Amino acid sequence: MLENFSFRTIGEYLPLFGQGLVTTVWLSVISFAGALLVGILLCAMNLQRSRALRVPAKAYIDVVRATPLLVQLYFLYFGLPRLGIILPELVVGVLALSLNSGAYVAEIIRAGILSIPRGQVEASVASGMSYLQRMRLVILPQAFKVTIPPLLGQAIVMVKDSALLSLISVAELTRAGQLLASDRFMPAEGFITVAAFYLMLYYCLKGLAVLSGRWLGLGPARSRA
Amino acid sequence: MARCSCELPSGRFSVVIEFQGVNKWFGSLHVLNDITLSVQPREVVVVCGPSGSGKSTLIRCINGLEQIQKGDLVVDEKRVGDPATNMTLLRTEIGFVFQSFNLYPHKTALENITLAPIHVRKTPRAQAEKDGRELLAKVGLGDKFNAYPSQLSGGQQQRVAIARCLAMRPKIMLFDEPTSALDPEMISEVLDVMVAVAEEGMTMMVVTHEMGFARRVAQRVVFMDQGSIVESGAPEEFFSNPKTERSKAFLGKILRH
Repeated sequence: MLENFSFRTIGEYLPLFGQGLVTTVWLSVISFAGALLVGILLCAMNLQRSRALRVPAKAYIDVVRATPLLVQLYFLYFGLPRLGIILPELVVGVLALSLNSGAYVAEIIRAGILSIPRGQVEASVASGMSYLQRMRLVILPQAFKVTIPPLLGQAIVMVKDSALLSLISVAELTRAGQLLASDRFMPAEGFITVAAFYLMLYYCLKGLAVLSGRWLGLGPARSRA
Repeated sequence: MARCSCELPSGRFSVVIEFQGVNKWFGSLHVLNDITLSVQPREVVVVCGPSGSGKSTLIRCINGLEQIQKGDLVVDEKRVGDPATNMTLLRTEIGFVFQSFNLYPHKTALENITLAPIHVRKTPRAQAEKDGRELLAKVGLGDKFNAYPSQLSGGQQQRVAIARCLAMRPKIMLFDEPTSALDPEMISEVLDVMVAVAEEGMTMMVVTHEMGFARRVAQRVVFMDQGSIVESGAPEEFFSNPKTERSKAFLGKILRH
C-alpha cells in the first residue's frame, strides 16, 4: 500500500509544514496563557461565598464541558459576526481555545486549592491574615505544586484540540496536511506527517512535565539552596 | 507562682473574654447551650469534658473560626460577630494552637514563625527573624530554625506552632487539645512550654484532659457536657470534690488510667 508513498512530496511541502508547526506552537502558547487567565478568574469566582459569582462560573464551566469544542468554535466563528464583531480567523480560534480550555483549567486549579487541608486555612485565618494574604502566602504556593502535572496534561489536550482551527482555515499544522492531501490527492503523506509533528510536540510537553515533576520533587528540603 | 484572680481590679476592663448566654447549633445539634463565662486577664482556664461536649467549639468561637448564633461574646472589648468588629484585626491579638499543629509545610520553622509578623504586623524582616530565633530558643528548638515541619517530631512541631502564635505577641492564647495528637513521651515537652507561657502571665483557655497541667497552672477548670457548662471551679476543688454526677463519672474515667 505504501509502495507509492512519496517522501519527495512531503519534502516539497516541508516549508508549509514548518510554518504550520510554528503557528500551532505560538497559537497554543497564547491560547494556554488565555486559558490560565480564564481558569484563574472562573476558579476565583467559583470559590466565593457569593452566589452571584459562583453560579455564573459553575454554569459556564458546565456548558463548556458539556458541548463539543467544534460546536463552540462554530458558535464563535459564525455567531460573533452576527453581533457585528468581525475578527480574524486566528483570533477567533485562539479565543475559542482559551475559553474552552479555561473551563478545564478552572477545575484543575480548584481541585488543587481544595486539596490543601482545612487546617492550613484555619491556621492562616487565626493568625490574622486577610483573604488575599492567605491565598498568596499559604494556599496557592501549596496548590501550585499539585496543579502543575494536570495543567501540563491539559496543555497537551489543547495542542491537539488546536487542530480543529484548520476547519476555520487557520494556517496551522493540520491545515498544512489538508492542503497537501487535497492539492496532490495524497492524504496519507499529509496526515502521517501532521501526526508525526503532533507526536513531537507531545514529547516536548511530556519532557517539560517530567522536568517540572523532578524540579517540584526536589521538594522543600533543597529549595533553600 | 500562684496568681490569684481575686487580686485583679474589678470592673468591666478586668474581663478579656466574656460569653453571655451564647448558643450555637450545628443543624439540629445544640453544640453550645446558653454559655455564660468570663475570663480575666492573666487567668488560665482549662476546659474539659467528654468528646462532643462542645469544648473545642467554645474556644473556636472566640476568634471567629466558628460563628455564634445567639447571645453575646465580647473579646478584648470587641463584640465577636458584630459587623463593626474587624475580626482580622482582633485575631492578631489571639493565638490559636491546634490539635494537629497546622504548620505550613512549605515553610521552615523560622518562616512559619515570621510569616504573620512580617505580613500582618508589618514587622521588618530582620527584626521578625531575630524575634523568631529567640522564640525558637525559648521553646527549646534554637537549632531547628531551618528545618521543615516534615523534618520535626510532633512535639517539636507543636512547640513551633506555639512559638508561631507568640510571635504575634497576642493578648490571649487558645489551645485546642494541644497534646492529643502526640505520642506520650512528647506530651511533657509541650506542656512545659505551655506552663512557661502561663507563668509569664498570658491569658489562656486550654481545652485539654491533662489534669497535671490544670493542677499546675490553671486558676479554674470548666467542665462541659452536651454543650453546657456543668461545673466550674478551682482545679483542686474540682478534682477532689466534683459536685455533679456527670463530672464525677467523667473524672472517674480519665483519672483511672
